[in-house]
Amino acid sequence: MVYTKKHPALLIMGIIFVAIAYLTESGGMSSMVDYLKAGKYAGEMVGMGYAFGAIAIIVGLWHLVGSHSEGNLDYYLSAVAGAIFILLLAMLVRWYLAPLVAVISKGLGPVMGAKYLHEVLGLNYVVLGILAGIITVNVFRIPVWAENGVRLSRLGLKTGVILLGTLYSLAELQSLGKLSAIMVGFFVLGSVGLVLFLGKRRNIPSSMGGVLSAGMGVCGVSATVAAAPVVQAKAVEIAYTIGTILIWGVGCMFLFPVVGHMLDLGYIQFGAWAGTGILNSAQVAGAALAYQPDGIETLKVAEIFNITRVLFLPLIVLWLAVWYVKQEGGDDTQKVNVGRVVFEKFPVFVLGFILMFAFSSTGVFAPAQHYKGKYFDNNVKESKLLSDEQVAMVSAEAGKLQRNDRKQAINTMLENRKIMSIDDETLIRGIYNAKIMSKDASKVLKGATKAVRHTAKKISAFRQWITLLFAFGLTGLGMQITFASMKQAGGQPLVIGGVVGTVKAVLSLIVIVLFVKETI
Amino acid sequence: MKFKKVILASHGTAGARAAEQYALDLCLETGAGLHQLLVVPDFWKGMMGDDWLNNSVTQSRFGDYVESQLAREAADELDRLTKTCEEAGASFTNTVRLGKPAAILADQVEKGGFDLAVIGSPRPKGVAGYRSRMDLEMLTRTLNIPLIIVPYPIL
Repeated sequence: MVYTKKHPALLIMGIIFVAIAYLTESGGMSSMVDYLKAGKYAGEMVGMGYAFGAIAIIVGLWHLVGSHSEGNLDYYLSAVAGAIFILLLAMLVRWYLAPLVAVISKGLGPVMGAKYLHEVLGLNYVVLGILAGIITVNVFRIPVWAENGVRLSRLGLKTGVILLGTLYSLAELQSLGKLSAIMVGFFVLGSVGLVLFLGKRRNIPSSMGGVLSAGMGVCGVSATVAAAPVVQAKAVEIAYTIGTILIWGVGCMFLFPVVGHMLDLGYIQFGAWAGTGILNSAQVAGAALAYQPDGIETLKVAEIFNITRVLFLPLIVLWLAVWYVKQEGGDDTQKVNVGRVVFEKFPVFVLGFILMFAFSSTGVFAPAQHYKGKYFDNNVKESKLLSDEQVAMVSAEAGKLQRNDRKQAINTMLENRKIMSIDDETLIRGIYNAKIMSKDASKVLKGATKAVRHTAKKISAFRQWITLLFAFGLTGLGMQITFASMKQAGGQPLVIGGVVGTVKAVLSLIVIVLFVKETI
Repeated sequence: MKFKKVILASHGTAGARAAEQYALDLCLETGAGLHQLLVVPDFWKGMMGDDWLNNSVTQSRFGDYVESQLAREAADELDRLTKTCEEAGASFTNTVRLGKPAAILADQVEKGGFDLAVIGSPRPKGVAGYRSRMDLEMLTRTLNIPLIIVPYPIL
């Protein structure tokens, strides 16, 4: 089969990218960029515009005038059209639509405290990108020339997660890993058990209970896809389950950020809640980026939860396989191939994440002992030293400190007007996180730690790429959510799924508010 | 009225079975041949949803599994009606296609050879089944042969 379509679309998209880059560089769009307050994206518009525009024009010309025959070259080059289609849509949303929504929203004034409507609803480039994808597939349909490449969005997300491995410190990974293992372990096993229990009470077939429990418990559609053949779910049961999960996932992606803003959850709290309470893993990432569009701290927490969930997947599929065979009166030792289930369902990309984390820990990307991608260096400019006023403010409150090590760290900082060592920085971070001093004094301490922490250039680049890869991946995934599949939600899965999904979301929120601190 | 060949859109639901019975009786009465059209709804193409965590082996295993399930369901349906028609002594043929039910029925009719189309009524609210209904407006605008919609059976 020849995959490449002789179509000018890729060439046209390339010209659009180059036109954006040229007009931005020459100032031809400066009034619009100023109006949208999108100046921070100007670098992306020029850099990405020229780079991807050139690729699209070259490959687009090949699509249009080349002679194509079956083979790997045809297959891989045909995917470029779909990939550029997603990228163009994602970037138009990021550069123009999301800033326009923000301008309109700010024009309406604050709606919740000091927050504007778009902030409360999380209407940023990620959520709008997913919506643009959903609208594209349901209203206009995916063009035939783009079909092959749209699947590359999965690769974008997996690459984003792998690169995310560069941004964690060992301490962070240990703390988040423990927290996620406890939360996910409890809520995954709890949800699977609750679905199976409710299923039995409502007399649903074992196959339906099995496929629904995987979807509700682990990672939504992905778990359903993995578990359906194992528990021999009927077609209608799969349709009901996937429809229910998609509706829940999309609904939660909008609802969770609103509730998070109402409760003023911190990034760690929200990331942990989204990572536990949202059924579908794609929407976990969407909600995290919706909650914090200009940083990736929430995404980092949410993705650790996602990874923990996906690591549970082979175990849950195995459990369900054994459970199903027993329910149907078979001999599990003969029918379930444990090794094959675990091997096939193991998420290989998680190894990439671990590898990048290991590289990062060696100091390849940032000096060793970096914290959240930032390294310690107290050679700071004169202007960044503490002022007399700031020194006086902190000195006046130093008496509130009980621990000698903290007192010593503060004294050393006040004498030198800057933090002198990594250990002192850790202690001072502990002081402001514990809110021992007043708000103003804590702000001074925060500023002092910020002055000695520097983001490595490579880490900055990784952050940028991670953001873009997630924008690309989630917009592409939006193109795979059809109303027709969501409409299939119904029957017992909708009832049981509704109960279990609500219980999971509410209980996990309560646990997080009560027990999860906003510091790692 | 005399009919030569009746096309019946049926996929085994209670409404469709009522239509089957009506079409079969009509064929026996008029001596017409019965052609069953079984449409596998195209929403299945999007049923992998936004799964991104699974590897291609798992995804293709799922795709193969769903295909085999749908093929088995379709085969069961065709076998059932074939047997009924054989027992009743009616001439019977069938087609299975993937797509939107109304569009496929219209296309099949356009290919010719039919002089009556029979379908069942939509199932009442609350009755389990796929959400994939006949677009009646599209159908009535497109079909160039009479269309009979058989009422849903009172259960």
